[in-house]
Amino acid sequence: MRNSSRILGRSCVVLTTPMVLSACKEVTNGASEFKIFSIDEGAEYAAIAARIVPSDESPGASEAGVVFFMDNVLSDGREPEYEILKEGLQNLKSICTERFGVTNFYSLNLSQQDQLLREIEGGEFFETVRYLTIAGMLSLPEYQGNKNNVGFQMLGFENRHAWGAPYGFYDIDYQLESE
Amino acid sequence: MDSGVRYSNREKVDFVIVGSGAAGGVIAKELSTAGFSVVVLEQGPHLKAGDFKHDEWGYKHNGDLVWGKRKGHPQTFRKSIDEKPAEREVCFGYAHNVGGSSVHFSGNFWRFRPIDFNEASVLGPIAGTTFSDWPISYEDLEPFYTKVDWEVGVSGLQGSWDPPRSRDYPCKPMPAKSAGVLLERAGKALGYNPYPAPVAILSEPHNGRPGCIHCGFCNGFGCEVDAKSSSMASMIPLALSSGKCELRTLCTVSRINLDNAGKADEVVYWDGAGVEHSQKAHAVVVCANGAETPRLLLLSESARFPDGLANSSGMVGRNLMFNGWSSAEGIFDQPVNGFKSIPTTRVIHDFYSIDPSLGFYGGGGIDSRHPSDGLPMRSALDSGRFGGPRWGSEYKKLVREEFTHTAAFHGHSTSLPLASNTVTLDDNLKDKWGRAALCCTYKDHPDDIATAKFFQDRSVELLEAAGAKKINRTPVVEQESNVHLLGTCRMGDDPENSVVDRYNRSHDVSNLFMCDGSSLVTSGRGQPTMTIMALAFRAADFIIQASKRSEI
Repeated sequence: MRNSSRILGRSCVVLTTPMVLSACKEVTNGASEFKIFSIDEGAEYAAIAARIVPSDESPGASEAGVVFFMDNVLSDGREPEYEILKEGLQNLKSICTERFGVTNFYSLNLSQQDQLLREIEGGEFFETVRYLTIAGMLSLPEYQGNKNNVGFQMLGFENRHAWGAPYGFYDIDYQLESE
Repeated sequence: MDSGVRYSNREKVDFVIVGSGAAGGVIAKELSTAGFSVVVLEQGPHLKAGDFKHDEWGYKHNGDLVWGKRKGHPQTFRKSIDEKPAEREVCFGYAHNVGGSSVHFSGNFWRFRPIDFNEASVLGPIAGTTFSDWPISYEDLEPFYTKVDWEVGVSGLQGSWDPPRSRDYPCKPMPAKSAGVLLERAGKALGYNPYPAPVAILSEPHNGRPGCIHCGFCNGFGCEVDAKSSSMASMIPLALSSGKCELRTLCTVSRINLDNAGKADEVVYWDGAGVEHSQKAHAVVVCANGAETPRLLLLSESARFPDGLANSSGMVGRNLMFNGWSSAEGIFDQPVNGFKSIPTTRVIHDFYSIDPSLGFYGGGGIDSRHPSDGLPMRSALDSGRFGGPRWGSEYKKLVREEFTHTAAFHGHSTSLPLASNTVTLDDNLKDKWGRAALCCTYKDHPDDIATAKFFQDRSVELLEAAGAKKINRTPVVEQESNVHLLGTCRMGDDPENSVVDRYNRSHDVSNLFMCDGSSLVTSGRGQPTMTIMALAFRAADFIIQASKRSEI
């Protein structure tokens, strides 16, 4: 199971960058566009998000369109966070160049990507991308992420307006006692 | 258009009420239905049931209700006056909309108990604090608690666990959720007396409003069917239909002016377009909350009141109390699904007063919740309390288990009043209107921390008794923000050390009233809104009687 999920994860990530790039190319056709990200930035953030919430047995950040959520909310009064991302991405690219001889994070293989992310976990850049990735998985689709509610599937959550008893396992056989 | 009635700004109305929240909504309804002309000034919009969504990003991360720095309302925080205040997104959290925080609160609705009103006499003074008795007793307030139960709408089960009550709850208790059942069974096993949490959420139709449909988005959200008993859902419609109340929304009050005789005479405000207006009134009732009420008084300084309006005591903005809080969380074998229905369904009050021989003052209650308020995004962000990775495929599995299989037992407890815990004006930072920002100076008393830890220990024992397979303690730390904003215009008989009298009237200005969390003398055990509403009904009753006698 674990093996197959890794293979699936890999194939999804291989799809990620072209997916984002093709979405970006639609700009020229007027169908879809980033508000503030460049195509390269979008592809990089999408690649990181796809490692934070990978596509495996259940959909991940790529299917949820998290990068479009990030672009959308960062364009709306979140300049300080966008600055953290831009600066952090420059640093990440420098590391990619120094260590692996490539200019893009998304060009690394998955184990290289994960190794790099483990090194920067806890830092401002990683934590901001993690925050926005998770927020983009689990916000309402109107914010441009959580496409088709796939993020909610990750949690086993259904965005319903009404629930009835029993709510969970432990209240199934519960009887109200006055005292 | 919120109501048919429109009053002229230059013509004196009977009352201007500043704020339409838990207290302001009640007082607006009481005064207007008694026939008085009322203008309510509310800085937020009039959101209604149909406007609310399960929008965790908007409400919890973008400040759509609470505003804060992102919306042009920065605040600052420091632990003591020796520190330089640091800018914060929010340290006083309250909703900016008609109904105020009664719209987005959890609905947890405990009455205070007799001991809350005279505990300082019973236990004696506590050095370094301003711990005091209230000028009123539980018996004085009981009829108004019952009025809240029935007029606002409360669900619960009458029993020996209640403080004395003159009438049963109007609505049956809400159904028990799994976390509540776990708490109840564990509590009984340990010899405690768990009972159905009283909540300001309707379990069945009442006063023309429907029962709860258990969608799970209460805490931090507005109710989409008006089952939550906010003042917006329960009181404001009655005020507006009286034909005597004009509700002016998006109106931000900047100061209260006095006439030559020293009476409150005029309330100055900006409308939503930023145009300044003023409204003449025979009397003014400030219900702006425990942070905004002292701010408005401090901003309304004058030659007569150089330290702030109605502040001859120097107590305006002092004695800020947050309520203590602690949490222990457990992971269980079977689904708990805390994301469904209301935040909490069972409570234990066996430690309402902790044995003083333990060496510290305090008391409180424990209730059953979801560790992350049942919220999808919060749960995924918080994931990892029980260990494990914070990202990747393993993280995804963990998140799912933490979202569906966990319960938290929360301690809600006392805060001691300290003159050094304050709401003040930060002259170095302005809000979008150019007003000095709110500055919070707060440091929990050591007894408050000891109390919170005491409750966390009990929560851990209860989780063990409930069969949790892993347990985590969220560290108890000194608080730097809160939604309970209490004590900053405290009630008392002595004008030397209190701001309002036993009927919420200013000691200094006879036609000025302050009624909201700021009036509280002690913090209670963690759920103040029921008491704020009861005080509002009581203050309104006095104002109506005194007005009829021409004594205002």
